[in-house]
Amino acid sequence: MIHRVLGTLASSASQPADDHRTPPAVRLADVTHEYGTGGGRFRSGDRRTVTALRNVSVTIQPGEIVGLEGPSGSGKSTILHLVAGLLVPTSGSVELHGTELSALSNRKRTRARRQHVGIVFQHFHLLPSLSARANVALPLVQTGVSKRKRRRRATELLERVGLGDRTTHLPSELSGGECQRVAIARALATDPDVVIADEPTGELDTATGETVLELLTEIGRERAVVLASHDEATLAVADRVLTLRDGRVVSDGG
Amino acid sequence: MGLLSPFVRTRAVIGIALAQLRRSPGRTVLAVLAVTLSVLAITLLASLGVGVVEVGETGLDNADRDIWISSDPVDPSANGAENPIPDAHGTSAALTERDDISSAAPLAMHEVYIGTEPDQLERTTAVGVQETHDGFDFEAGSGFDRAELPDEGERPTEPQTAEIVLDPQVAEDAGADVGDTVYVGTSRQTAPEYEFTVVGVASYYSQFLGTPAATVPLPDLQIVAGTTGTDRATFITADVEDGADQGAVRDDLATEYREYDVRTSEEQIEAMVAEQPLVLASGMTLVGLAVVGGSVLTINLFALMVTQQRRELAALRAIGLSRGLLSGMIAVQGLVIGLLGGIVGVAATPLLADGLNRVALSLVGFENLLRTPVEVYVAGFALALIVGTVVAGITGWRVGRTLKLEHLEQ
Repeated sequence: MIHRVLGTLASSASQPADDHRTPPAVRLADVTHEYGTGGGRFRSGDRRTVTALRNVSVTIQPGEIVGLEGPSGSGKSTILHLVAGLLVPTSGSVELHGTELSALSNRKRTRARRQHVGIVFQHFHLLPSLSARANVALPLVQTGVSKRKRRRRATELLERVGLGDRTTHLPSELSGGECQRVAIARALATDPDVVIADEPTGELDTATGETVLELLTEIGRERAVVLASHDEATLAVADRVLTLRDGRVVSDGG
Repeated sequence: MGLLSPFVRTRAVIGIALAQLRRSPGRTVLAVLAVTLSVLAITLLASLGVGVVEVGETGLDNADRDIWISSDPVDPSANGAENPIPDAHGTSAALTERDDISSAAPLAMHEVYIGTEPDQLERTTAVGVQETHDGFDFEAGSGFDRAELPDEGERPTEPQTAEIVLDPQVAEDAGADVGDTVYVGTSRQTAPEYEFTVVGVASYYSQFLGTPAATVPLPDLQIVAGTTGTDRATFITADVEDGADQGAVRDDLATEYREYDVRTSEEQIEAMVAEQPLVLASGMTLVGLAVVGGSVLTINLFALMVTQQRRELAALRAIGLSRGLLSGMIAVQGLVIGLLGGIVGVAATPLLADGLNRVALSLVGFENLLRTPVEVYVAGFALALIVGTVVAGITGWRVGRTLKLEHLEQ
């Protein structure tokens, strides 16, 4: 079912006729990134230069799920950071929903990330002191949404990920799979155009992982999803998988 | 974004910060305790600093004399005290005869050896005065009456009254009690020659001098010190008649006794404190240490607290919360912890200061060595609240600037 839905959405989203009407969700053009020079304060003090990405060009359309595979250090996480605007490339351009991120100030990049990108972490990273509902509502705090509306939106999202009966539970009272679903609900709080997920099933057993993947593919109907993973089952939900080696795309799958 | 957005955000930030504190009670309690310690470091050290500076002043205040005649330099710690005023009794008598002065009395200080056995002598300071009075607040026994002056031309070689009031600590060190005989001399060799009877135990002049002291009749001290002939004293103090102007009397006396320094009690306090740079420096150093030490402790605490929440902050930053919001969240935690720690610290200060004062009294004989004026409390509380909030906020801001997803992968 998942593949059928995705197949339809992916093929329609990648049709050339749409390209000039809607901007791609993500576009990386000729991106090179070196750690240890520019590109923010990452590992400041490290004088050695490590090239994490070399001339990478990727376009991801809305409704498309793209997997990133490759060994550790191949550049998967760097691509996720660039898409989220957490890094600025050494050269090349990163566009998010038609906006060139490199040209934005730190503050504006943060705003762009908040509006257009939802992030799902391998280790969930929920605030242990807040309830599931409060965790989901967190991204809305910055935009000044009232408490009542934040709660309503968070409850809706938790119901959508099947946790309508867990809204007031603390993360410590939830299973790993439930935590990841709360994290997915949080990633959707601002209704982003792109969801990035770094090893989203890395902490979960196979059965729980499948539930989370189903959820991610469902999300992928409406927005672009970028998944970085070593796990074949996870990558199997992607419409196409980019294989990275030493910072280069060696295969853009399909 | 509506007009109410900043209000909504502030409320949310406070709510999240409080939830963070509530859900980690162990960490919160420890942090509050750490701030309490910082506040106590400030209040207690500063109290000690204030006390050190004030000890001499209060001693002089206690002496309650209007006019002080001396000849600089006066060393109030009596180490090698000079007694530069000759004919002290004669001068005092001349002063008392003036219409604007009700009474005048000489006071001498000497370094002496005291002991209950001729071969077990302790060095201490002896103050020679004409008589003791009610202000002595005797712990045991009583004082001695006004010592009669030797007749003109007569040079007694033995102490005539031969009574002594010991500081509690001196009494304890010497193992002497009221009624015991002690030997007093300006050297170990001469001490066995002069026997005094302990008539009382009081710390009156110890507080005045800032060091444990014994009090003896002035003529007797002069005999012991061998200054009977010149009748030497360190000070002559005088009380002005009711209604007489202290300043005018001071000016009058200054003209009459050009060779001496004539001061009102306030001027004398200033002069004596100014002549004790070491005491002033110690006091100021203690206050400085208190502020720096307390600040460093507080800064360290909040820096650690932020570092501990680094992963959570990195996640929040990654999902789009601004640095301002994150630092606000940390600052609110700092404010609450600072407030609680400040209240506990300030509340505990008088109790601990009281306890330390008891210890100080029993060890060194000073009463109220730690002084806690309201400024001390204000400084401690302000440190907890302001430094806590500001440092927490700044640290949160700085951490927010350097956070990347890598912190989440560690």
